[in-house]
Amino acid sequence: MTAVTDSPLTLRQVEEFLYREARYADEHDYDAWEALWTDDALYWVPAGDATSDPATSMSIIHDNRNRISTRLNQLRTGKRYSQSPPSNLRRILSNIEILGVAGGDTEVGANFVLVESTSRGMETWAGRTTYRLRVVDGEVRLAYKKVLLVNRDQPIRTMAFLI
Amino acid sequence: MSERDSNTGDAHDVTPYAPGAGTVRVDDSGGGIVGNEFAEVGVAVDHSGNGPRLRLEDYRTGRVRNLDALELETIIWLPEERLTQLLDPSTTRWREEPDR
Amino acid sequence: MTTTVPDSARATSRPDYAALIEPSRVHGSLYTDPRVFADELERIWYRSWVFVGHESEVPESGDYVRKSIGPQDIIMTRGRDGDVHLVFNRCAHRGNLVCEDARGNANAFRCPYHGWTYRNTGELLGYPYNKGYGGKGNLDLSLGRVPRVDSYRGFVFASLAEDGPTLAEHLGAAAGEIDRLARLSPEGRIDLGAGWLQHRTRANWKLLAENETDGYHPQFVHSSIFSVTGSPIGPLYSDNSTAVTRDLGNGHSENDLRPEFRRHGETLRWFGTSESRVPNYVARMREAYGEAAEDILVEGAPHVMIFPNLFIAEIQVFVIQPLSVDECVQHSTAVQLGGAEELNSRMVSQSIGSVGPAGMLLADDTEMYERNQRGLEMRQPEWLDIRRGMHREALDEDGYRTGAATDETGIRGFWTHYRRLMEVDT
Ligand code: FES
Ligand SMILES: [Fe+2]
Repeated sequence: MTAVTDSPLTLRQVEEFLYREARYADEHDYDAWEALWTDDALYWVPAGDATSDPATSMSIIHDNRNRISTRLNQLRTGKRYSQSPPSNLRRILSNIEILGVAGGDTEVGANFVLVESTSRGMETWAGRTTYRLRVVDGEVRLAYKKVLLVNRDQPIRTMAFLI
Repeated sequence: MSERDSNTGDAHDVTPYAPGAGTVRVDDSGGGIVGNEFAEVGVAVDHSGNGPRLRLEDYRTGRVRNLDALELETIIWLPEERLTQLLDPSTTRWREEPDR
Repeated sequence: MTTTVPDSARATSRPDYAALIEPSRVHGSLYTDPRVFADELERIWYRSWVFVGHESEVPESGDYVRKSIGPQDIIMTRGRDGDVHLVFNRCAHRGNLVCEDARGNANAFRCPYHGWTYRNTGELLGYPYNKGYGGKGNLDLSLGRVPRVDSYRGFVFASLAEDGPTLAEHLGAAAGEIDRLARLSPEGRIDLGAGWLQHRTRANWKLLAENETDGYHPQFVHSSIFSVTGSPIGPLYSDNSTAVTRDLGNGHSENDLRPEFRRHGETLRWFGTSESRVPNYVARMREAYGEAAEDILVEGAPHVMIFPNLFIAEIQVFVIQPLSVDECVQHSTAVQLGGAEELNSRMVSQSIGSVGPAGMLLADDTEMYERNQRGLEMRQPEWLDIRRGMHREALDEDGYRTGAATDETGIRGFWTHYRRLMEVDT
């Protein structure tokens, strides 16, 4: 990974992108959210030991581009009962840092707190997200999103929304 | 140790002992850390003398002990009960009598 | 919490289970009454055989993992003797937790409170400053040991009762289902070391146990994912399906999907793949099992609920852990088979997609459990109806009660056994 100053994106551009991605997820705008992803996308939420190999150990989510589509298509049916009705969501992103550049992708770290409201109560989610952003045809796109929940080693509630 | 137990971590992860995972990790000098939730010991082969010896460091207190080849061989041959006796906290560290 | 209890049960301090459990209906208070839960702990969870973990989770001497028996915190260890041991996570001094980490390697545990030190089999090895106890070795204390530990094909079970039926007696016909899973490995070996997802669920544990072999719900609860992926699972659970639901006795039940897979006669159809994708696996299976390999590869993995808390769902294993009358944790992992590398990575990937808090199947089951729990708090109509398919049940050639794919035969089997356990006087 090369120095932060080599990033093709400014911190402001990065922030604008992350806030947009967060808003699409909060508002269940599945089409807009899906359009952010590159073809080689990876959307990963590890469980327990965050260092374990997702090919041989369980993760909470480990979606390639295909499975992101499947997940969103299931939500779009309106019969994904764990999100029908959808949770009411709002998340705050903070501590946004450009961590470096690898293979042209800008790696970004941020913390988040997310409040989820459903008919059965309020749930707080929090964690650290690592993003890899890529400029494709002049547009910022998302190639990688890894979400480390603070409580990933504990039993957690249903998380059928986009984290 | 299986691969699952090694703590390779993210690039920014430098915690020697990862809770819940245990640790055997080789550092740059060829040493390593053997850690669990009960103890954490740095292990290295020390070449500063005329021959090699094992350098053990209790990370929680900083106490160091060097063991030569014959001492190590002796530990390997120690009967199970003798090792068990040594694990009794009153036998070694936490006893009323001062160190001899 | 609102509970509805019929008058017949209200009079006594203990619920009258005979009055709450009938052949074709069960009373709603069984899911909502904290007294029932307290009784279940004593009569089922702390007495009957309960699944705790798999030997493959502690492969090396000194390995340990924290497990549970209901709300009890249990440490599963591999001793120097090579055996698997179960001890309570409670110091014999003043009761602190001895292990805090979820897993690790240690031949001895040292309590962090006052330094009492135990072998990983529970034996007290010593305590600091022993003059306070008149010297060393003066205390006849140890970590609490689980009275009976036994395993079947690496599946470790515990009973907190000193005596009672053996594990073999408890498992009965369900053991054959574990065999069916094991023989999908060319080495006959199951590994459950892929790590567990832990899913908190606001529901009574019995709703989960009943749902595991309920073939009536998939077409409804899972239609969203079936329609998106074109999954062949849906038709297995329809009125046209030749699959059967079987009461295996002792509260165990299965959805036997073999008739459907035999009808198609395609190798690995049960796993949604074909021979050409996993050629090395198929070759190793034929090498290991000869002619029998064809049937094994066509018939696939079991779908069996082993009372009260182990569910083998083809390529996943679930453990139900009750915490209170309306709260439990579902633990889930992918089955890994010895000598089946080509299958194993696929099983991990498919399991991640299906199970756990974000799983495309299990999140929706869990939504139903939680809505169901809330629904059961309503006062009327008091009862849950479990009669589906009673009129068309038959005994199969082995004498097990068998219903159609969508029938509630398994649920009735659960309650028959449950009632037997709960009615016993302590
Ligand atoms: S409570 Fe464990 S040593 Fe005191
Ligand atoms: Fe289901």
